[in-house]
Amino acid sequence: MQQRPYNILFHTHTVSGIVICVALYVIFFTGSFSFFRDEITNWQRDEQPAVIDAIPEDVDGLIATIGKSHVLKHRDIEISRYYNEKRINVNMGAVQDTLVPEEQRGGIFFSLNPEDATEHTYEESYGLGEFLYRLHFLDQIPYPYGRFLAGLVAFFFLFAIITGILVHWDKMVKNFYVFRPWAKLKTVWTDAHTALGVIGFPFQFMYAVTGAFFLLKAIFVFPSVIGLYNGDESKLYDELEYNHPVFPPEGEPLEGKASINPLIQRTKQEWPGFQVQEAHIFNYGDANMHVAISGHLEPSRKLNSSGHVIYRMSDRSVVSSLNPETNDRYLDGVKNLLFRLHFGDFGGTALRVIYFVLGLISCFVILSGILIWVSARDKKNVPDRKRRFYRAVGHWYLAICLSMYPVTALSFILVKAFPDSGRSFLYLIYFIPWGILSALFILKKDNAFTNRQCLLWGGILGLMVPVVNAIFSGNWIGTNLARNFHDAVLVDVLWIVLGLFSLWLVFFKLKKRITPPVA
Amino acid sequence: MPANKKYLTKSPWQRFAKISAAILGSWLVTVLLHLALAGWFDRQTVLITSTYSTFILWAALMILAFLGKNGWKVWLIYFLVSVVLFGIFILGITLYPEN
Repeated sequence: MQQRPYNILFHTHTVSGIVICVALYVIFFTGSFSFFRDEITNWQRDEQPAVIDAIPEDVDGLIATIGKSHVLKHRDIEISRYYNEKRINVNMGAVQDTLVPEEQRGGIFFSLNPEDATEHTYEESYGLGEFLYRLHFLDQIPYPYGRFLAGLVAFFFLFAIITGILVHWDKMVKNFYVFRPWAKLKTVWTDAHTALGVIGFPFQFMYAVTGAFFLLKAIFVFPSVIGLYNGDESKLYDELEYNHPVFPPEGEPLEGKASINPLIQRTKQEWPGFQVQEAHIFNYGDANMHVAISGHLEPSRKLNSSGHVIYRMSDRSVVSSLNPETNDRYLDGVKNLLFRLHFGDFGGTALRVIYFVLGLISCFVILSGILIWVSARDKKNVPDRKRRFYRAVGHWYLAICLSMYPVTALSFILVKAFPDSGRSFLYLIYFIPWGILSALFILKKDNAFTNRQCLLWGGILGLMVPVVNAIFSGNWIGTNLARNFHDAVLVDVLWIVLGLFSLWLVFFKLKKRITPPVA
Repeated sequence: MPANKKYLTKSPWQRFAKISAAILGSWLVTVLLHLALAGWFDRQTVLITSTYSTFILWAALMILAFLGKNGWKVWLIYFLVSVVLFGIFILGITLYPEN
């Protein structure tokens, strides 16, 4: 590549990277843990859901339960499973009937434990898994600013990895085999940054694109809505089939029983292996009651297999249907893959473990990028004032990024020690220690110290996670294995592996690396 | 090892022109290209493709804008391309309003 484009690409890579790096690190670090969002939730609650990837079989029973505390008649009711937790989601539309008292008419959302029939608000259901998942798109910053910021970070990340790979293009094959861990520190970081950046490129590219889509789609949606649909946003979502069809209520009661279970059984007989993720009931108990059953096949059988069927309750006839076994529509394929690829939920636990490791590797690429940036500017020909500034930026960035590790381990311990902890508790135990620890490391102004202490305390606290879990829930890994609570086992084992790995780094790797004087 | 400053834009106006063309100009071209396609071809297909193609194209055009020698020239090119694409889009939705 010629000198001019090379230097321009290099500079844009540097600037975009150094601007987004802290937010990007937060996103990748918490995002890696979010692959186990549901496992963390189940570990925290000491639960193991019996059914996963589908709503429970007995929907009529669930509706009867809901009916004890809510008005059902002529209302839209949606029962769905987003997360593999014991609790399922219930979403109820507004009541049309004016005879019902006004305070019972509004639409509501809650989660329902099908086993003990308890209802929980979103606030009550907020656990550590949810917290880390939300932090992954900066959702603790008020909506829509946090998500928009995270979207911009995702997009500039896309820009940074494309410019990064272009800068490295000519040397890619030659440098792929170059790793000089015994050389001076800056070359270690450079080699790690480029080698791991190249290996991780397809993974990171997919994340940058899908992440930008989830959070930043509004800036492309609004021109389409204005240009193609005269400003009517719901028409766009109709076109892309995100909306349910509309079945106006007749106001007359339904003749016969409003039974949904037989319809689900019929669907499953027709499409063996169909996982029902959502049952959407239109106008419950009304003469024009309809039921939409949607879901997909197991991803191991067919990756793109979205399907649905809508029944009219009065004569149990099929109003519309989309067969998951034959559905190869481009529309459904794209809609499905954007989420599947991002969530990594199509290849079982093993795939998510690989994704988790790749996510942490991306964190390492970000950190090494910061270190390259600092050491490239720490030279004699750079004015002292500027050098101090660059170094300070490095101290700040590393302090904020690295202290997340011990703070996250601590949060796992504290949610076990204080079980009935909701959202504000999590904000308290995560953001305050994170702030204090970052401030201390910033004042200490020693990157090697920050790195060592964070790995050390992250490791120690991490190893304590299974112990604390055992003390407060009474269940060791063996007990959980015996009673098939594999989500709890996964979280405990995850922390043992992370803890041992970081302590190994601290005691066997870090020392050698830091003692020789940096040339 | 920071980039050699010799090759970077120094004038603040040029930098402003380049950065604005890279972010806004590229966004404009991306939006209008997709609208133009949606005006002529199957809307559903174009729109669902745009979920991923917009961000990739936007980033690619951004890089091109930074590589340009004159930021105002980049703006001029992106603006002219946008006008042409807008024309194609309007023609498309006039000819095939129910696409």
